[in-house]
Parts: sequence; structure tokens; C-alpha cells
Amino acid sequence: MIISLLKRALMMSTPLLFGSIAEVIAERSGMMVTAIEGIFLMGAWGGFVGTYLTGSAFIGILAAILSGLVAAAVYGVVCIYLKQHQVVTGTAINVLAAGICTYLQRVLFGVPTAPLKISPLPEIAIPLLSKIPVMGPVFFQQNILTYVVYLLIPAAYFLLFKTSFGLTIRSTGENPEAVDVAGINVNAVRFFTVLLAGVMGGIAGAFYSVGYLGMFTTNIIGGRGWIAFAICFLGNWNPKGAVAGTVVFGLTEAIAIYMQSVGGGSYFPNELFIAMPYLLTIILTVSRRNFNVPAKLGVAYSKEN
Amino acid sequence: MNTKIRDMIVTNAAAIIAGLLLSGLMLLLLHINPVEVFVYSIHTMFTDKYTMGEVFLKATPLIFTALAFAFTFKANLFNIGAQGQFYMGSIAAIALSLRLDGKVPTAVLLILVCLTAALSGGLMGALIGFLKARYKANEFLVSMMSTYVALAVMNYLLRTFLKESKGEYPQTDALTRAAWLPVMVKGTRLHIGFVLAVLSAVGIWILLYKTPLGYRIRAVGSNASAARMSGIASNKIFVTAFFISGALAGAAGFTEVNGVQHMLIQDFNSGVGSAGLGIAILANANPIGIIFASILFGALGVMGNLMGRMPGVNVPASIVDLMQGFVMLFVIISYFFRHYLENRREKRRLQKGA
Repeated sequence: MIISLLKRALMMSTPLLFGSIAEVIAERSGMMVTAIEGIFLMGAWGGFVGTYLTGSAFIGILAAILSGLVAAAVYGVVCIYLKQHQVVTGTAINVLAAGICTYLQRVLFGVPTAPLKISPLPEIAIPLLSKIPVMGPVFFQQNILTYVVYLLIPAAYFLLFKTSFGLTIRSTGENPEAVDVAGINVNAVRFFTVLLAGVMGGIAGAFYSVGYLGMFTTNIIGGRGWIAFAICFLGNWNPKGAVAGTVVFGLTEAIAIYMQSVGGGSYFPNELFIAMPYLLTIILTVSRRNFNVPAKLGVAYSKEN
Repeated sequence: MNTKIRDMIVTNAAAIIAGLLLSGLMLLLLHINPVEVFVYSIHTMFTDKYTMGEVFLKATPLIFTALAFAFTFKANLFNIGAQGQFYMGSIAAIALSLRLDGKVPTAVLLILVCLTAALSGGLMGALIGFLKARYKANEFLVSMMSTYVALAVMNYLLRTFLKESKGEYPQTDALTRAAWLPVMVKGTRLHIGFVLAVLSAVGIWILLYKTPLGYRIRAVGSNASAARMSGIASNKIFVTAFFISGALAGAAGFTEVNGVQHMLIQDFNSGVGSAGLGIAILANANPIGIIFASILFGALGVMGNLMGRMPGVNVPASIVDLMQGFVMLFVIISYFFRHYLENRREKRRLQKGA
């Protein structure tokens, strides 16, 4: 039971890691990607449609990436090049994404009598490694997206802290003027990180529809984009912190699902477990001191004339 | 000044039309003639008294939640949790109304319930402001998360203490007429909550622009360090601004529960918070502008419903989100153009001067 709980926790952490690491990279460059909820939803929808129409989960995930990119690109253009408010633009895109996904779902499939299903991504047991007791089934019997996350975490850390481009990204969030003086296009760097967030957020969204549920509903994301957003804050804008934050959330979510399935709701209010990740975010935000907030987070950059 | 207002009207109108146009084009995907649908819904809206009332009815909670966002926005704070404070207000409103229903005169009941709903929304807001002031917690994040907590609290109460006496669905008992907000125009559902909303908007405008507190709030918003230097305690402002903001969102719960739903059901009006945010942007956080922008959003919602019920064609309900989303996005983009127009005019003026 513990093993299946841990396994589920890791599974539920996968999209949150995609999302929060995307958010870490973008926020380091000064872009608060508040459209993340919409990007997740677009990804979930794109992934479902791609998989359903072609029967290939691979194409589905490509479609998810594309849908996430579209949402991120709109967000990026409006916030970076038209210099509009990041929180406000994000909210508009989240509303719009909900409208578009539901609408296009209807355009494509009408009102189906039975819910449309696709087969979720299969678990892939890694030879040898999956035979290790406890660790094996938890870490090495997951779907492909979870394995991608294992690579993504060190890659993101390496990109941000060990490469010159990572330094550029971080400087863009701290001191865009200096980056500009060095002859680097501040807005291009920011736009790149937002697009990257679109790709990763799209995959994260696809995890829910293609990787896990095998279907699409309008409230499939249900605020998990915001959780990824929150984890980025709690993880102090660092991929390592994002991992720590995600583990906590993955675990609470797994417990919530477990409690629902065994009918623990008759002893405990189920709602408490459902609200737990959100409560934890609040508690952690309050208790955590000394944040390294990127200095220019959320501030559009205008060149001095 | 005059050209500024003209710019605002022109750019906003262009943005709204562009949003509707694009939503109309989306209808083509379902092989629906958008012209026919729009003409039908607009015509019905303006000729049918009941439908016209619905526009203002839908605008009522939106005025409150938009004011809630705008009020903290003026202090450069983000209250993204209006939805949660709205739920808190709704819970308080239904719980107290059920308790007092039939036991006290309607007027007394409504005043008490209104105050309680506003207070519970306000306390939830004040808590966010307090966490911000005392622990420097990010108010954006905390308010965002608080909505989901409020939703869980509401679902829990609907399943237990507030569950209907029949015990079938997770919803409350219905209120009797004695606890309803009186209807303002016969033959519609429009209740006096709308007047309350408009008065609140005017009150917030006076509070922001004509009182010392409003001045301090705006001072903290425009330059927090300068405000601190001049002796304004920004921590107090955080709590006060969030309390008032939450109270406004809570009041929306009151008007919806006692004026429209007359009961509490799961997940009701789940978009009222984000729509309020959109409206506040549309109105540039101006309380008076919010009244008109809310009516516009109310009209969009009613138009969407009319389209859905239009005989012969099958317009999905998601058209409302689509219209609101596009309009919001285009209004945001129009800010860029307005700014651009202003700059160009300023440059010309300076050139003439030189």
C-alpha cells in the first residue's frame, strides 16, 4: 500500500514538476507566467485531441506542445512586446483558454453520448532497475513523461546555473539594463523563456489527459497550474527547491485520492485533503523567509531613449 | 482630457467589437450564421423587459467583485481571491438567512445578512492582508490559493451542516420569500441588490478619491517607499484595503444568495471572480467605469444564454467564456494602442511648441 501510494505521489508530481520548472526558468528572466493555468488546459486539450484523432500518444503530446506554445506566445507578445500587465493578461488568457478548449471540443466532437476515451500512457518498467525492492516499482515503473522529468530537473539546473545562457536568463530578471548594455536583446530572452514555459506547460497539461485520465473535461486542470506557479515561489526560484515543493504536493494529492478511494471521507472530511495542497502553499508562503525574488519579476522592460 | 476620454471610448469600443467579431467567426466553425445569431440575441435583449432585467441582474455581483479587485489594485496589491471571499459571503448569507427566515422582518433580516456576508468576506480578505503585512507573504499567491480553500469549506458545509433537510443533494434548503431581496422592476428578476452595487461603486469612488484613507491607499500604490517616508503605515493599509476588498466580494455573495439563488448550491457562479478581474481591467480600475463595464459583461452573458436558447441553431454555452475572454484580451491590447496614441499626440504638441 505504501508503495502504491508513493508511486502515485511521484506520478502526480510529474506535471507539477514540468510546470514549476518551466515557471522557475521564466520567472528568473522576469516573466511571471500567470497564464500557466491556461497553458496547462490548452496542453491537456491538445494532447487529448491529437491522441484521439491519430491514435498516437506521441502525436498527441506534440499537439499538446503546440497548443501550449500558442497560449504562451499570445501571453508573451502581449506582456513583453505590448508591455501589458502580466497578472492581468494571464487572467484573460486563462478565461479565453477555458472558452476555446470547451468550444473547440464541441466543434470537433459535438455532444457525445458517452465520454470519449483514449488509452492512457502505459507504464514502462525499466529492466533491472524496476526490480529493486520498493524503489524499483516507485521510481522505475512509471510512464514515459515521468522519466523525462528525471532528465529535466538536472538539465534545467545545468541550464540556469552552469551555462552562460543561464546567466543571461538570470541577469535578465535581476538587471535587464545590464543585459541590454551587453548587447543582448532582453525581450528576446524573455520571449524565449515564455515559449519554453509553453512547451513544458503543454506537456504538463497533456499528462492529465493523455498520461493519466485518458479523457478531457473542462475542469481537468482544476487549479493545478496555479499549484505549479506556487511551487516555483516556494522552491525559491530554483529547480532543486521545485523538486522539494513538488514532493510535498504530490504526496498530499496521492493521499487525497487514496482517502477518497477507500472511503476515508466518512471519518475525515475529504475536503480537508482536497484543500491540503492549497493550505500548504499558504502556510509555506507565510513561514518561508528570505526569498530570492528576481528583482524585476513582473516588470516589463522598456529601452531608454 | 477630452481627447483622453475620446481615446478611451474609441479604443475600448474597437476592442469590444473585435472580441465579438472573433467570437462570431468562431461560430462559423459550427456552421452557424453569426449575423443571424447576434441580431437575434441583441434584438431580444433590447425588446424583452425580462431579458433586459437579466443584464443588470448579472451585472450586480460583477460590480462587487470588480470593485474588490480594483480597490486593492489601487494600493498595488493583488486580490485574486475574490471568488473565495464571494463564497465566504455566500455561506454567511445563507446560514444566517436560514436561521432568521420568518423570525424577523425582511428589512431587518436583509440588513443583518448583508452586514454579516460583507464581514465574513472582509475578514477573509483582512487575513490575507495581515499575512502580507506581518509575514511579507506574497498576497497574490495567498489570495489565489484561498479561493480553493474557501471552495473546500463550502463543499464540506454543503455536505454536512448546511445540507438540505431532504438530504439528497449537497445543497441548502431554499429561503422563503421573506428572506428574498425585493424585486425592483415588475416582470423581471432584477432586485434592489443592483442599486446597492451601484451605490457601493459610487461610495468606493468617494472613498478612494475624496478621503484621507483613499489618498493613503493610492499613495502606497503609486510609490510605496515615498508613502512610507511621509509616514503612511503601509502595513495598516494592506489590512484595511484587503478588508474592504473582501467585504465587497462578500456582499456579492449576499446579493446572489438572497437575490437570485435563494439557496446555496455547489460551484455556483464559479466565474464571478475572474470576470470581476476582467471588468476591473476594462474600466481601468475606475469604480464608476466598473458599473458600465459590468453591465457590458452582464450583457455578454445574457447574449450567450439567448444564443444557446435560440430555436433552430445550437450555440454551445462556452460562447460566453469565448466572448468574455476575447473581449478581455483585446481590451488589454487596446491599452497599448491608447498609450501609443497618447505618446504620439504629446510628441506632436511638443514639436509644435518648439
